[in-house]
Amino acid sequence: MLTFHWRLLQGGEQAGSSRAAAALRPETPRPDPAPQSAFCRLAEDLGIAGVLVDIGAAKPDPIVLSAALGLATSRLEFMVACRSGLQSPALLVQQINTLSALLDGRVSLNVVAGTSPAEQRGYGDFLDHDQRYARTAEFLAICKALWRQDGPVNVTGRYYTVADGRLGSRFIAPARHRPELMIGGGSPAARDLAVSHGDCWMRLPDTPAAVAAASRPMLAAGKAVGLRLSLIGAATRRDALDIACALRDDVDRTVPERSLEGGFIARSDSISFKAMHDVAARTEWLTPALWTGLVRSHGAPAVALVGDADEIAGALIDFQQAGVSRFILSGWPKAESMQFFGEHVLPRVRRLERRAAAE
Amino acid sequence: MGLRFHWSMSAAGDPDRATKARSQVSGIPDMDAHVEFCRVAEQCGVEYLLTACGFHRPDALVLAAALGMVTARIKFLVAVRSGLFNPTVFAQQVNTISVLTGGRIALNLVNGHSDQEQRCYGDFLGRDQRYARSDEFLDVCRALWAARGPLTHHGRYFRVENAVLNTPFLAPGRSAPELYVGGASAQAVQQACRYDACLLTTPAPPEELAARLAPIRARGGRAGLIVGLIARPTRAAAVAAAEQLLARAGGAARVVHRSFRAQSQSAAFAAAFDQSLDREWLTPTLWTGAVPVMGPSATALVGSYDDIAAALLAYRQAGIGEFLFLGWPDLEEMMRFANELSPRVREQEAALC
Repeated sequence: MLTFHWRLLQGGEQAGSSRAAAALRPETPRPDPAPQSAFCRLAEDLGIAGVLVDIGAAKPDPIVLSAALGLATSRLEFMVACRSGLQSPALLVQQINTLSALLDGRVSLNVVAGTSPAEQRGYGDFLDHDQRYARTAEFLAICKALWRQDGPVNVTGRYYTVADGRLGSRFIAPARHRPELMIGGGSPAARDLAVSHGDCWMRLPDTPAAVAAASRPMLAAGKAVGLRLSLIGAATRRDALDIACALRDDVDRTVPERSLEGGFIARSDSISFKAMHDVAARTEWLTPALWTGLVRSHGAPAVALVGDADEIAGALIDFQQAGVSRFILSGWPKAESMQFFGEHVLPRVRRLERRAAAE
Repeated sequence: MGLRFHWSMSAAGDPDRATKARSQVSGIPDMDAHVEFCRVAEQCGVEYLLTACGFHRPDALVLAAALGMVTARIKFLVAVRSGLFNPTVFAQQVNTISVLTGGRIALNLVNGHSDQEQRCYGDFLGRDQRYARSDEFLDVCRALWAARGPLTHHGRYFRVENAVLNTPFLAPGRSAPELYVGGASAQAVQQACRYDACLLTTPAPPEELAARLAPIRARGGRAGLIVGLIARPTRAAAVAAAEQLLARAGGAARVVHRSFRAQSQSAAFAAAFDQSLDREWLTPTLWTGAVPVMGPSATALVGSYDDIAAALLAYRQAGIGEFLFLGWPDLEEMMRFANELSPRVREQEAALC
């Protein structure tokens, strides 16, 4: 069965929010417990498995925010974004263990390498792209050893040294001794890390055929494959296209060219964000339903399935046949698009899954 | 300003505070017990609850964030050591908590007890270097809290370039958290002076404390005392309660604390432990009898409500403006504090003004 997560609503987030539009707003996203808790409860009611809590200097701390919002929910999982290089592995494990105890294990980690060298330097991290992945591998090895709780952890590595590492807390969850680890990124380094340390490789979309080809080694290694994807759904395909075009035109009208994603990409060392930016410049439609029109303004995760509920459900099943089992979704505005998904798309997906199982 | 009263939350949900080895203590927070602890503290007029840090405990910041969401008035004094995270990340976590809780967070900077524990976090500095690094950690954090633009810092222990945090520290009338420094050594005193922090120190007779606090008083700084409380209607009842506490803790605990003392680098803890072996009563109310069994944090004010109110006022004279109490068990002692001690202290304070 496919698993669906949704990106958490940011504090003060407006309809049509893009990275570019956000940069122009004087008010920055602060944690805003009332609307964010309401969003989480709506996700729960709609049958969404969990929310992705982003990380970045522009945002609140995701671990602290998850602790606060997690208490307002009872079933929703918090997929906490995490980067190595910001804290000691023992401290991260201690914080995640504490969170797991507060939320009865409703915690997983979305491990990312960071997309901007400038932002990383603000956190005292001066490593380049591939070194960051190498450090993350060491970081996760230590974290997993601490989660195993099978004796003191001693590691003398290239990036970390730990002597007699142990913690009084453990990861509290039904039938798990550590959180599930999603590994984000499209580069060879990210894929290697997913195979060596991850449970799921989380990537940006492509055509189902391309996704299937890239997924084969992951599935062979026993890893799941997930997609970060946006949705623009409506009662008819025509309406969905109108919404999509309006989103794009609104950005063109209100956001100056220099603030668009190109500037961010020029300073980013993310392989897959850059690649997606190039793809979007060449092709507006990767498949009849998969649209790149908002990448230029909203960033790489804005590659969107556009259509009516049947078309979107069908496209999700196409990805399932390509080896994908999880999705982190988003839309504009987040709550309304999640509601459309939960009420119209998800029942169709489940129906198609049941039909496939019966055959 | 009147005396300020805080309480340690480190034994919430643990009736046998400080009698077990740290490796035997559960780091899994009992949320119901913590919420109950916070509610009673709010009712009793306690200002800050200390969330302690250590490898054997839940994470202090995450716990404070969660408890902040289910309480309305109580504030959290979160213990922090440098060397566990980059200051930018730390400031981002603290800022996030401040926004979520209406600014109900302050920081208690501690240096760490032992090299051994620090190494489990990948920290291989010695005790004195840890103080130097904590200074730099605070420098970066304070610069981030004061920043009007990107912050660049190239120091000995930390290097950050163009750090920007969009989530600010938000609290009524403050743009940065209130700071405390835990300890009794010259370095701790210096650090408290340097950062206008309240020195949260360990008990000694008032005249001895006055000497320790001289550099702080000279510059108009603040000081607080961490001390246990065993207050009863009569001195005899209080002494009996203290003896019962000793009997309950038992001999196994003695071994635990002897071995902890052997490893500890904390000047404050070592001094308190050693002194307790010489003398059981440092003043007519300041009792160290439980220290060999329950550790230095078991140094307690023992006596009648009137005795202890007078002792608190004597400390006030010596330069102590705040108290962080512990009790056995905490909540019962906290209610005695609220019903019996606090009214006596407030009345005598008013008479002094």
